[in-house]
Amino acid sequence: MDHTSPLETIFRRVALGVILVFFLFPIFWIVLMSFQTNEQILRIPPRVFFSPTLSNYKALISGELITTVGSLKLTFMHNLWNSFFLSTTSVLVALVLGVPAAYAFARFKFRLGEDIAFTLLSIRFAPPLLILLPLSLLFNEIGLSDTYIGLIWVYQLICLPLIVWIVRGYFEDISPDIEHAYRIDGHSWAQTFFRIAVPLARPGIAAAGLLSFIFAWNNFVFALILGSADKQPVTVGALAFVTAAGISYGQIAAAIVLSILPTLALALYAQRYLVEGLSLGAVKG
Amino acid sequence: MNRRVLPYLLSLPALIVCIGIIVPFVIAIYYSMQRYNLALPYLRGFIWFGNYQSLFTSSEFWKTVTVSLLYTVFTVGIELFLGLGTALLLRRPTTFNNIAAILLLLPLMTAPAIASLMWKLMTNPGFGILSYLISLVGITNFKWASSPTTALFTVILVDIWVYTPFIMVLLIAGLRALPRQPFEAAELDGVPRTFVFFRITLPMLMPYIITAVLFRLIDSIQQFDIIYAMTQGGPGDSTLVFQVAAYLEFFQYTNVGRSAAILMVLWVITYVLSLVFVKNWRRLRERAHGAV
Amino acid sequence: MSGLELRHVRKAFGAHEVFPDLSLEVEHGEHVAIFGPSGCGKTLLLRLIAGIYDPDAGDILMDGRSILDLAPDRRGIGMAFQNFALYPHMSAFDNIASPLSAHGNSAPTEHVREIAGLLKIDHVLSHAPRALSNGQKQRTALARALVGEPKLLLLDDPLRNVDAKLRYEMRLELPKLLRGFDATVLYVTQDYKEAMALGHRIAVMSRGTIRQFGTPEEIYYQPADVEIARLFGDPTINLLQLQPEKSERGVHIRLSEVAVPLPDGDALPTGRECTVGLRPEVLAFVDADVPAAIPVTVEAETPLNEKVVSLVRTSCGHELLVSRPAGTPAPASGPAHIGVDPGRLLLFDPSSGDRIALQDAVSTRGGSTT
Repeated sequence: MDHTSPLETIFRRVALGVILVFFLFPIFWIVLMSFQTNEQILRIPPRVFFSPTLSNYKALISGELITTVGSLKLTFMHNLWNSFFLSTTSVLVALVLGVPAAYAFARFKFRLGEDIAFTLLSIRFAPPLLILLPLSLLFNEIGLSDTYIGLIWVYQLICLPLIVWIVRGYFEDISPDIEHAYRIDGHSWAQTFFRIAVPLARPGIAAAGLLSFIFAWNNFVFALILGSADKQPVTVGALAFVTAAGISYGQIAAAIVLSILPTLALALYAQRYLVEGLSLGAVKG
Repeated sequence: MNRRVLPYLLSLPALIVCIGIIVPFVIAIYYSMQRYNLALPYLRGFIWFGNYQSLFTSSEFWKTVTVSLLYTVFTVGIELFLGLGTALLLRRPTTFNNIAAILLLLPLMTAPAIASLMWKLMTNPGFGILSYLISLVGITNFKWASSPTTALFTVILVDIWVYTPFIMVLLIAGLRALPRQPFEAAELDGVPRTFVFFRITLPMLMPYIITAVLFRLIDSIQQFDIIYAMTQGGPGDSTLVFQVAAYLEFFQYTNVGRSAAILMVLWVITYVLSLVFVKNWRRLRERAHGAV
Repeated sequence: MSGLELRHVRKAFGAHEVFPDLSLEVEHGEHVAIFGPSGCGKTLLLRLIAGIYDPDAGDILMDGRSILDLAPDRRGIGMAFQNFALYPHMSAFDNIASPLSAHGNSAPTEHVREIAGLLKIDHVLSHAPRALSNGQKQRTALARALVGEPKLLLLDDPLRNVDAKLRYEMRLELPKLLRGFDATVLYVTQDYKEAMALGHRIAVMSRGTIRQFGTPEEIYYQPADVEIARLFGDPTINLLQLQPEKSERGVHIRLSEVAVPLPDGDALPTGRECTVGLRPEVLAFVDADVPAAIPVTVEAETPLNEKVVSLVRTSCGHELLVSRPAGTPAPASGPAHIGVDPGRLLLFDPSSGDRIALQDAVSTRGGSTT
């Protein structure tokens, strides 16, 4: 590998350059657009250098859009809040439900445990609409449709399998003797769980939590089907923008930037754990 | 004794969630065997495999199957090619390569629906930068997602943009986890590098490739977000894949039974794929965490 | 009342039965070494007592009361693990203080410092386990087991993972240290020297059963079977297949055509071979004119610290190891004579391996064991 020919080196660099441009240019371009007025965006040929404006962000954040035809209400900040609220509470609920289960699956060999663990895994792979469509009718009947509780319940579909399977691996990596020693020292089972197992698995729990937050945030279909405009997160809300009257392209771009910013920032922060999370614990980064 | 009960107690909440998921699943099976249209409630009745029968004899459904398979084969095929290539380029853990690998993950962290929106802005026939760029090389009047001939290509492009990093990052981790000795031995023996790649690297990387590809196959055949956000299955039925078809069947035609039947067909496909997946995935997990 | 008693304990994992039927009674305050090859169930035995596993049948009692219905935290046991099992996220101090704080002792500082001083780790108490050397880890684990002054102390091969020098030091230090505690001690080891140095009594385990339970002297001089005779002693015991012969003067065996009488050999079934065990230190170089001196050829000689081991060959081809204290004269090669103390000779049934008792060996006690 050390004796690559110059030609090959050039080829590798060019290839890498093309790949980087393909994958990063769209994000770069949308960020540029978000600082442009509609006139600047519509100009042909497009320009990389322009005098940036913050008006798109101002309109989104103030929630008020002044157009020639009058003032328009924007609910984007509410969507952003919904995304934050739904993702955070779903992850917290999934942690409370999933971490003890992951511990049980890691420490006790029992038939039902394996069954639950693999059911959770197969949920991860089942078509979401298969669950969502009957659920939308069911929720109508039991009064859970268009409620945060109903949505948080459904978000467990993505959060719970992720947390159970990642955290389980971390629990399995703790030597059982460490826990035995703590028990023999005179601590109850619960003390051992909270003071030994959980602290030692904390990197895994944090990683699983961050990842499920990202996936919950990025989810689109759950709220599309089960939530009304009032409960919808940014993924659904931003899409509704396209058809809304009077919206400028710059504002759509700004909405995109605001809605991907949290997950991109979290991903950069948690990149050490991403591989393990994406493969449900099968590959360590 | 306490020790017997404890594991069940701990997994009880997860069990309840599982049941909460299995119930709608069973309801879906039940619906798929019913003549059930929300607009025509008085016609509701049990018809066994009537919905499936009508699906398998309808050309629209076979179009959906074809589009889904085309979408899956092209996205996963190209993503594997690109992802493996990128992983090989970024194989050595230098600072530059590590930063590049992290930056390349960003598309994967973008919500797929939002990614579609981004590409929609870029492919707008009026001002889209991509439309402008291809007009520079003489292609004008390229309609991207608005034309039936290019819509599937456009959504595949977005899928590639979002999900290639997934394969890339798994294979980088796989490549870096490979034992060094075979490569050092091959280098000492002066074995040609193409031979090393096809006879050592690729076979040793295979479990990772299989896991990544199966992950992608399962997700790709049920892709909804990207396609719905970009084209809603159109124009016409040119991008109408399984889940989008089921969605429209349910909400546009209020035909619950037929919608459930489409989803059941999709479920059988993903279930078979996930059985193969679990076997490979377990093997890798055992490698990463010791025996399960 | 015995400090610890196991009654007909049975434990199986699936189809694999580790203990078919195990019983053991240990006196209060007694130090018992559990000795046996790896995989014989020593560690599992400790884990059953600690409550990490439950036996399938039988009972385990402490001070006459069954402890089976007590969770591990209620049994009042201290345990040191072979792999130390320190809490990686706590300092050495907090590791040691753990049993005290578990029992509501809010100010354990004095106590921890005291025990750490005893074990010479008081200077590393603020360190995390990963910053400790193996020896310090092992001492921390011991301190944690001892600090709560448990009634029963289980030590699972605590010297296994430390280097040879440290093991040697600890072998001398540990018995002294343990004497300061009023605890019944079970000490698991694979090293017979450790077992002999640390145990008032030794339980020799093999394949899930206790083959012999006795004082170090009993184990050494009256091993229950040929396997135990082989496991204890360095260099290992000489084992010869010989046929005892009967004459009017009693029963004897022949080495280099010289008759070695067997005291009380009448009980012996004659007419078939048996295994004769001769510990190297039972053999000694003698002058040729000593009665019953056995002519041999010295083949080689190896000094081993405080003793010298010679390999000799009898005229009928048997090879024997002879050990003597270093500094005593002996021929380094060529023809020589050795003598046998017939009272310290061991006989084993060749098919079962069990020792054939010739007499009460009480009179033969004495002499160095190592």
